[in-house]
Amino acid sequence: MTVVVSPPDPAETAARPAAPRRVRQRRTPSDLAFRGVIRVGGIIVLAVMLLVGIFLTLRAVPALRTMGWRFLTAQEWDPAGGDFGVAGVLIGTLLIAAVAVVIAVPLATGAALYIAEYAPRRIAPVLVNLVDLMAAVPSVVYGIWGLYLLQPHLLVQGEHGEGLPRWLATYLGWFPLFRVDGFDPSDPLGSNSSLTSSTFIAGIIVAMMVTPIISSVMREVFSQAPVGEREGAYALGATRWGMIRSVVLPFGRGGMIGGTMLGLGRALGETIGVYLVISFVFVIQPHILQVGGGSISSLIALRYAESNPIGIAGLMAAGLVLFAMTLLVNFGAGLIINRSRSGAASDA
Amino acid sequence: MFKQWIRRRPRTTSRLARVVAAAAAAAVLLTAAPPASAAPRLVPIVGIGSTWSANAITAWARNVQASNIQVEYEAAGSTQGRVQFREGKAHFGVSEIPYGMKDIFSGTDSKGSRQSAYMPIVAGGTAFMYNLKIGGRRVTNLRLSGEVIAKIFTGVIRKWNDPAIKADNPGLALPARSIIPVVRQDGSGTTAQFTLWMSKQHQAIWDNYCRKWNKPTPCGITSVYPRQSGSGFVGATGSDGVSGYVRQENAEGAITYVEYSYAINAKFPVVKVLNAGGYYVEPTASNVAVALTRARINKDQKSDDYLTQILDDVYRSSDPRAYPLSSYSYMIIPTRLEYNLTADAGYTLSKFAYYFLCEGQRQAEVLGYSPLPINLVQAGMEQVQKIPSHETINIDQKLRSCNNPTVSADGGNALAKNAPQPSPCDKRGPTQTGTGTAGARQETPVLAAARCGGAGNTAGGGNTAAGGGTTTGAGTPGGTAATAGPTSGIPVPGAAPQIDPDTGEVVGGTAGVAAGEQVAAVPVALDGTDGWRLRHTLMLLAAVLLIALIVGPPLVSQVLQGRRDDHRGDR
Repeated sequence: MTVVVSPPDPAETAARPAAPRRVRQRRTPSDLAFRGVIRVGGIIVLAVMLLVGIFLTLRAVPALRTMGWRFLTAQEWDPAGGDFGVAGVLIGTLLIAAVAVVIAVPLATGAALYIAEYAPRRIAPVLVNLVDLMAAVPSVVYGIWGLYLLQPHLLVQGEHGEGLPRWLATYLGWFPLFRVDGFDPSDPLGSNSSLTSSTFIAGIIVAMMVTPIISSVMREVFSQAPVGEREGAYALGATRWGMIRSVVLPFGRGGMIGGTMLGLGRALGETIGVYLVISFVFVIQPHILQVGGGSISSLIALRYAESNPIGIAGLMAAGLVLFAMTLLVNFGAGLIINRSRSGAASDA
Repeated sequence: MFKQWIRRRPRTTSRLARVVAAAAAAAVLLTAAPPASAAPRLVPIVGIGSTWSANAITAWARNVQASNIQVEYEAAGSTQGRVQFREGKAHFGVSEIPYGMKDIFSGTDSKGSRQSAYMPIVAGGTAFMYNLKIGGRRVTNLRLSGEVIAKIFTGVIRKWNDPAIKADNPGLALPARSIIPVVRQDGSGTTAQFTLWMSKQHQAIWDNYCRKWNKPTPCGITSVYPRQSGSGFVGATGSDGVSGYVRQENAEGAITYVEYSYAINAKFPVVKVLNAGGYYVEPTASNVAVALTRARINKDQKSDDYLTQILDDVYRSSDPRAYPLSSYSYMIIPTRLEYNLTADAGYTLSKFAYYFLCEGQRQAEVLGYSPLPINLVQAGMEQVQKIPSHETINIDQKLRSCNNPTVSADGGNALAKNAPQPSPCDKRGPTQTGTGTAGARQETPVLAAARCGGAGNTAGGGNTAAGGGTTTGAGTPGGTAATAGPTSGIPVPGAAPQIDPDTGEVVGGTAGVAAGEQVAAVPVALDGTDGWRLRHTLMLLAAVLLIALIVGPPLVSQVLQGRRDDHRGDR
């Protein structure tokens, strides 16, 4: 843009010496066109969001009219019988996302720190590409991987169901989150099916899907840590890990939180991976290792073929709830990223 | 090399010129020719629906690729098939049940405005695939009556050693393992066929289960299997999902309902189901064909449900070879050019349909299905004539060239007529064969008391004595030993094996072992110790003491040292 600074009028300067110079902006046509395009783009994105919200709300009206606020507290999903709500699957969605984030964040932090700080120059780009490739794998592939490899061969393996879930249920079963009803580790004929198709396994699959997103956001932020401060830390005798702890991590905190929130947003909406693995139950199921769970998006995928109009309206209402929740999470992420120091000008 | 390239160059240009000229000519021809005379082209077509018949459809789709027919089939369940076809998202749908079945769980689906017709594509049996081991050895010869199956899938029978299951399997010492019924959680035609059978044959059991959801009874058919959390049931998506779940090593004790072919592909056994004739049979192609000779087909050409099936008589067929849960699978074909259906797609679909109604039926048995009888093939081909811009063929001529395995010289159903009789050892009674089923053909050792001659061969020669007990002196000891064997939990080495059930002769113990080389294992359940015992307290105490022994001395010395230092500092 061109800023034209008008030369100070000698007479005026004489009259009012303290008056500031007047700054006038004259925008060239290309500037105007660019501003217009950008503005239209921004407005379209907002409008699409708004239209999605309006569409979901309109289509959800019959269901919300039937159920009212009970839609948020009812657990059963029986539109044909007139009793349905998202309480069960909403909690399920949150639990799956929580498991995913708990697993993905340490993994992503480690990967990002290694790529940004430790990896030799030559292989770092390869690693970056690999992580990006991981994000490009379709989620149905992760779902199949979970169903045919992760669950039967890594997590609940063999006829006694050896693996992490069994260990957790055996030794940490006193903790309500890890309790598994109907599982008795001392019974050799006991059923291991109660350890399969659980929130935990679905959460691990979702974690694999969100790790690359979180990792690339973090890596980007870590690599922007100011060189001056890094060198300052080294100059004060810090080891590399000491430098990372005192410079890179504090600098990247906003980015880490933001990346986590973005991952959480995706984890909340993940569909096919969950749909393939989980055994759906329509109750609030707080035991993450126990068979049965659910999420809103996979509920929609599972029951979309349901033919009665009230069922479709119910799914739309469930979609609206998910939409609102994801919006909130992403909004929170935006706020945190904006408030953080990352990206702000540094003295470097 | 370079020279060659130079020499070739003019030739390339000339070829290019020729191609351009040909294209121009073709363009002129195309624009000049009236569109009506344009020959229909083969275009890729898309279908969606049943996973029950998906193994057959995908095999056929692979076979027709050679003749440039591209069929993309998405096995997403019958419910999806009906809905997506109705909404015009596919050229054809595949479903086990027609539109408009009353379903109190997921609601009745309407036919919608798209014009369509039903066409049978293949027959098959809804099998019960299971994962069960006795003493680390896979059971392959499990037999169940319909009532027991209904009770398993309604949560009434929860353990494999339930007396009702034992009564069906005198030759197996079943373990005290819990049963994990694995059901479909998506809208499924297999579920619909299974619940239809339950609602017709075991209405009281099914209605009792339905009452848990406060549903009006009689409950009837449903595509979405109702399931409560914490009931021990597991839900999975698609036939691949349920069979994939059952085949997992960790899923011991699981049982599911799925088409026979999935069990064959998974190399797993299926349950032999008791039919009204009193025999336990496997859903082989011939047993399904026998049962379906009793299917009532809607023959009213004007009806919307023309060619659909009524299976009540199939369930009750008293032929000893009939598999009760046999049914036909249907394709929903479009009958009008609407919903994005082009004439080319109609033409391609008709060619695909002719292929699988004719040649495709020959592979049905290998794939784990049963071929359509010739009258249904003919009716199906007549249905193809309703597809817009179908390929016109001479149906009679085509039928003769099909070599359909059900055709016989005298016009009867050859497959059903030549179906082998079941082994008399598999008649309801105190004996049981050890032969495997479906994808697991290996023999399962049978308890000596229930053994049926030399692995069922000698008894199989038309001698029904072992089951019927007409030979005095043989039937009774066998029968009592069968009931006594499993309940006492001991293989009874002395009493039962010494009497050959066929001849009634007493044979020596060593000879018996030599002849029946397989020894059945008997699982024994002992009372385990659980909870916190004195042992555990002592173990904990020992561990604490050990740690104290290692960590204690340095700590104590440090503390003492520190105190001494303090004193020195004071001074």
